[in-house]
Amino acid sequence: MESGAQMRTFLLGLAATVVALAASAPSFAQAGQQAAPAKAAPAPKRDLSGVWQFQGGGGAEGIPEKDMPPMTPWAKARFDLEKPGYGSRAIPGGNDPILQCDPMGFPRIMFMPLPLEFVQVPGRVLQFWEREHEWRTIWTDGRPLPVDPDPTWFGYAIGHWDGDYTLVTESAGFNDKTWLGPYGYPHSEQMRVAERYQRTDHDTIQYDITVTDPGAYTKPIVGPQRHFKLHANQEIEELPCVWSEENSFTKRIREPAAAKPAK
Amino acid sequence: MKPRVFRMLALTAGLLTICAAAWAHHGNVAYDESHPVTISGTVTEFVWSNPHCQIYLDVKDAKGKVVNWSVESQSPGILRRNGWTRTILKAGDQITVTLVPARNGAPVGFSGEDVGKVVLADGRVLKMNVR
Repeated sequence: MESGAQMRTFLLGLAATVVALAASAPSFAQAGQQAAPAKAAPAPKRDLSGVWQFQGGGGAEGIPEKDMPPMTPWAKARFDLEKPGYGSRAIPGGNDPILQCDPMGFPRIMFMPLPLEFVQVPGRVLQFWEREHEWRTIWTDGRPLPVDPDPTWFGYAIGHWDGDYTLVTESAGFNDKTWLGPYGYPHSEQMRVAERYQRTDHDTIQYDITVTDPGAYTKPIVGPQRHFKLHANQEIEELPCVWSEENSFTKRIREPAAAKPAK
Repeated sequence: MKPRVFRMLALTAGLLTICAAAWAHHGNVAYDESHPVTISGTVTEFVWSNPHCQIYLDVKDAKGKVVNWSVESQSPGILRRNGWTRTILKAGDQITVTLVPARNGAPVGFSGEDVGKVVLADGRVLKMNVR
C-alpha cells in the first residue's frame, strides 16, 4: 500500500511532468489551445489581413500518411510510380515534382511551415505564400464555382464568412500533376477542397481542411487541423523555386547526397 | 523519496525527448538525422540562392587530408529571419557547422531546422529555424 508520503512524491513528480509538457507544447503543437495572451486586442471582424506563421504540429509538410484513406485503383497505380524523398516509402533522390520546380500547387502549399499573407480587397481575399512566391484568389463576391473549370495548379476558389470570424472556402478545378504532400500521394482532377479559417483570437487562425476526391480516394481526407499565429511585423520574403539555381543545387548537393555509396 | 522525484524528472525528460524527436522527424531520407556531426574548417564558397542556400568548406579529416564539404541549408528568407545576410560568410572564414550527414558517407550534409547551426570565428551562433 502506498504511504501518504510516497503518494505526495508521486503526485509532485506527475505535476512536474504535466508542467514540463505544457511548457513544451507551444513549441511544437496545439498552439491554438494556449490561453490567449492578456495583452491581445480583440480580433477584427471579417478580416484575416496580415502575415501569419505556421505553428508546429498539425501535419507540417503534408497530410500524415496514417490519415490517408484507401485509394482507388487509378490512384494506387499513380502512387506506386511515385518515389518520395520523405515518409515510409522515402528513397534518396526520388521523383517529387517540386525537385524540378513544378509548382507545389494547392493544397500542398498549405502544409509548408512558412509564412502566408492574407490581403483583402472588395469581393476577394488574396493569399500570398512565401514558398514559391505564389498566390491565389478566394472570390467572396457571391459567385458560384465554375461548372467545368479548366484544371490549374492552384484551382479556383470561392469563399464566404460564417459569422464574423470564420472564412469558409470551397475550391475545385485542379490539375492532377501535383502531390498532396511530400509522401507521394496523388490526387485527380475531381479533387475538391473545403477549408475553414477561424480566427479564434486576435493572433490565431485555426485551420481545418477537407479534401474530397472520389477519383483518387474512397473517403474524404479530413484534417489535420493546423494553427497560424499573426506575425504583425514580419515580411513575406522571396522564395521562388529558381530552376537554374535548383539544378545547380541538385548537381552539387542533392545527387552526391543520394548517390549509392562508393565501394 | 528523492530517487522517486528524480525518476519522475527522468521520465519527464524522456517524454520531452520523444516529443521533440517526433516533431523533428520530417527530414529528407538522404540524411541521417539521428547522427548529427559538427565540422570545422575554412569557407570556400557561400551560395545565397533559392530554394536552398549552400555552404562549401574545406575540412581536415583525422589524417590531415583536406576534404571539401557541401552543406545544404534553408532559403535566403528563412536565413534572413535568423539574422543572416548574403555576406555573412565569405571565402576564407573559419566556421564550425553542425549538420546531419548524408547516409552514403559522402562529405555532404544538411544544416537546418533543430540541430543545424553555424558558429563564426568570433563566437556568434547562426541558426536556420523555420519559424
